[in-house]
Amino acid sequence: MDRELPSRVELLQGTLDLLILRTLLAGPSHGHAIAKHIRRTSEDLLQVETGSLYPALHRLEAKGWIAASWKLSDRGKRARYYHLTPLGRKQLASEQSKWRAFSRAVGLILNPVDQEGP
Amino acid sequence: MNAFFRRLRWLAQRSRKEAELREELQFHLDEEAELHQAEGLAEEQARWAARRELGNLTLLQEDTRATWGWTILEQLRQDLRYAFRTMAANRLFTSLAITSLALGIGANTAIYSFMDSILLRSLPVSDPESLVVLNWYAKTREGDSVMKAMSGTTYDEPNSGVTAGIFPFPAFELFQKNDSVFSIVFAHYPSWQMRRLNVSIKGQVDVAAGWTVSGDYFRGLGVAPVAGRLIISDDDRAGASAVAVVSYGFSQKRFGGAANAVGQSILIDNLPFTLIGVTPPEFFGVDPASPPDVYLPMHTNELLGASNQFGFRAENYLARNYYWVHVMGRLRPGVTLAQAQAALAPAFQQWVAGTATNDQERANLPQLVVKKGAGGLDSLRRRYSKPLYVLLTLVGLILALACANVANLLLVRAAARRREMALRLSLGAGRLRIVRQLLTESVLLALLSGALGVLFAIWGIRFLTLLLANGRANFTLHAELNWDVLGAAAALSLLTGVLFGLAPALESTRVEVMPALKESRAGQPAARHTVWRISLSQILVMSQIAISLLLLVAAGLFVRTLANLESVELGFNRENVLLFQVDARKAGHKDPEIAAFYADLRKRLSAIPGVRDASLSEDSLIEAGTGLPLGLAGAPPNPANRILNIGPAFFRTMQIPILAGRDIEERDGPGSPAVAVINEAFAKANFGNRNPLGQHLILREPGEGDRLARDMEIVGVCRNARYGGLTRDIPPVAYLAYSQGYPRPDQMVYALRTSGDPLLYINSVREIIHQADARVPVSEVRTQAAEIDHTINQEITFAELCSGFAILTLVIACVGLYGTVSYNVARRTGEIGIRMALGAQRGRIVQMVLREVLGLAAVGLTIGMAAALGTSKFVESFLYGMKSNDPLALLGAVAILLGAIILGGYAPARKASRIDPMAALRHE
Repeated sequence: MDRELPSRVELLQGTLDLLILRTLLAGPSHGHAIAKHIRRTSEDLLQVETGSLYPALHRLEAKGWIAASWKLSDRGKRARYYHLTPLGRKQLASEQSKWRAFSRAVGLILNPVDQEGP
Repeated sequence: MNAFFRRLRWLAQRSRKEAELREELQFHLDEEAELHQAEGLAEEQARWAARRELGNLTLLQEDTRATWGWTILEQLRQDLRYAFRTMAANRLFTSLAITSLALGIGANTAIYSFMDSILLRSLPVSDPESLVVLNWYAKTREGDSVMKAMSGTTYDEPNSGVTAGIFPFPAFELFQKNDSVFSIVFAHYPSWQMRRLNVSIKGQVDVAAGWTVSGDYFRGLGVAPVAGRLIISDDDRAGASAVAVVSYGFSQKRFGGAANAVGQSILIDNLPFTLIGVTPPEFFGVDPASPPDVYLPMHTNELLGASNQFGFRAENYLARNYYWVHVMGRLRPGVTLAQAQAALAPAFQQWVAGTATNDQERANLPQLVVKKGAGGLDSLRRRYSKPLYVLLTLVGLILALACANVANLLLVRAAARRREMALRLSLGAGRLRIVRQLLTESVLLALLSGALGVLFAIWGIRFLTLLLANGRANFTLHAELNWDVLGAAAALSLLTGVLFGLAPALESTRVEVMPALKESRAGQPAARHTVWRISLSQILVMSQIAISLLLLVAAGLFVRTLANLESVELGFNRENVLLFQVDARKAGHKDPEIAAFYADLRKRLSAIPGVRDASLSEDSLIEAGTGLPLGLAGAPPNPANRILNIGPAFFRTMQIPILAGRDIEERDGPGSPAVAVINEAFAKANFGNRNPLGQHLILREPGEGDRLARDMEIVGVCRNARYGGLTRDIPPVAYLAYSQGYPRPDQMVYALRTSGDPLLYINSVREIIHQADARVPVSEVRTQAAEIDHTINQEITFAELCSGFAILTLVIACVGLYGTVSYNVARRTGEIGIRMALGAQRGRIVQMVLREVLGLAAVGLTIGMAAALGTSKFVESFLYGMKSNDPLALLGAVAILLGAIILGGYAPARKASRIDPMAALRHE
């Protein structure tokens, strides 16, 4: 087996928003934790650049999908916690179904039906 | 919208957001560092690793800020701050630019507010858009026509026809029947006998302006009373009880309130009327030129006309060839003007054809023209629209000049900022971004000018109102700043800002970066690179000169016209004469006592200390204009002859020389032989070289058979004096003694020749007349000089305004020229330094600079002259005593402008000649 798997995968355009929204579904979180969560959950395949994370967070906030408030972190420091708004939840649902449709379509092309089966 | 407000809110919290972002990122770094420390790095190294992973912190902040969505606003804020800073750094430039633009915008706003109030405003009635005014148009006023008699104003149309809005009463009844087009038709009649009503309220007598209206007038206009009720159909019947409605202003002035006025008994021309109601404050009738104080039912005309020899008679209602009644209507919903025209014109055509009696009359029948009635009658528009358009053109030119001026100054400044622009472009600024910033500057400049311009406009409107009113207290034209006008001013400012800012902005960003950066700080850019820019600047200077010339020519023409008018030979002495009008007949005096009353009044007035002579005439000389069948004994009446009823010592009082015979004297009274004095023109036209003294004149009373009214002996011949205006040819005039029969005296204008200021005698005059008969009001008090000035009011206004405009243009053009030449000299400091180092004399340098200026001037003057010759014929109708290509006005304008150009160019040229070659070269 080829052990030279790429250690990082480039994020597809527009998927960062989806990942952020999905991460926040579990509950409020600050930027650093969101990045960490995405990295850990994707088994270190997805590395979120700080340079695009914060603009994305602020963009989502401007769209009204997430909202921010200042809370004390686990270590007792003031951190900016983001949480999903109802609008964001709706957005997440539609993004998710769009993503599923997209990945199914790509899957269908990459793994044609006739080669599938038991 | 929501997103917009969120952004606005964020903008307000901007600094807090910045701090939060910093804190958020700091927290991120701390967390990351903790993580690295947990992985075993030393604290310092952990921090550096975290910082490294974060990357370009500034870029990250920029990117995040960009998502906040206020970049555009942020940039605008930057641009504005930068613009304010640049403006503050160039105070002279800024104040010059703002002042000249503000003058231009202010003048335009002032004139536009007059246009708005005169030409564009609708009547303050319900649904004015559905109102129409009926008019007729006829091809010619010459020869026989069905229009045998008229009472009202006719207007000559440009294509040599004649038009008016007056109809016979039977035609009005015809229109009333046409209810497929109109929901209502109503009429009104501003009778001449109504123009000055004697209104007596509890013994207090005053003169008021009256207007008679049909019973449907107020209902048709949709006007509701503020107190009482308005005139209805039942009031407008022969034999109905006499009622009157007054305007709101009149009720305030005379009763102290609308409610007090209702139900009062008043005397109008000595007849009892009951006041039934008051019109709303904003209502001024249907003619913006003359708002009435009193509205009467149309049938009061017979009532008030009964005592007057020329008064209105009830037969006029039946007459099919007497044109007098104004007709307005309200179209049914959905009926267009064209449909109304198509429906009514044939009906009127058929009716009017029935009134013709011969072929010539049938060939020139009046045709019905249905016009929009939203603005009411167009008397004011007809009088002022052309002068206003001319003024608007002139102030438009001033604004164009100011724009060209500021554009040129900006261009000059843009050239000075070439290095700055090159630097910014080379550092990666987008061209669009720089153009936007420069435009922000110019639009800001224009908006500040616009704000200042509105202030100027307020003064301008006051000044213009004063100028147009010319001392008349009842001046009706009230222009004001309203939202329309302010909107127009704002739009104008924005437009000018973009207009004069765009070219320099585009120009200054067309910099070739490298050469511009390589230029020495004070050095001159090589001419090759700047051919286009210099020529644009030159074009602007030339167009400024051309526009200035146009305005100077206009000023010259109008000033010369005024001078011509003021030097018109009057034939009498205008100085130190007080004129005022009294009407004893309207106060109840009857024949023959009225003549004695007037004679007694003259005696009392002559006795006022300081009054050297006193006399009277039916009209003042300037307003005279009576034609009755008058001719030599044994010859038919000559229609060219005019008459004026005068009192004793008229010629002595007015200082008209008697060439032969004598003045009218006190002995020429009711019982004595009838006499007349004729002017030279009359003598020449009717007697040739024969001696007219002792000859007889016959005056007939018009009507069936023209009854003989007076047989008069000519007792004197006087020098020609102006009659009925200042500029009209003096007609043949016979001056008759007012007390010797038909036409019997009605109103009289007294003339007092005073020592010193005539206005000082007003109180004595009022006192004497009040003593003689308290029922007789004194009206139209003015000096003879003021009356003459009033007739040439428009010419005075034009001359004064245009002189002001011309001075303004000269100042603006000089400033522009000075700025441009100064800059060019500064730019060529090095070159001039070299020339002088090589031995050029100071005089040569001055010549060199001036030669270029004069070259531009020659082109500008040529263009301006061509434009002046081409356009000045449009103002020909405003001129008197000269042609529109008056050489004196043209040459004078060229000379003045050339002087100003040399003045504007000489100062910088002199400065150039003072350049120290060593300093200039070291500077390089």
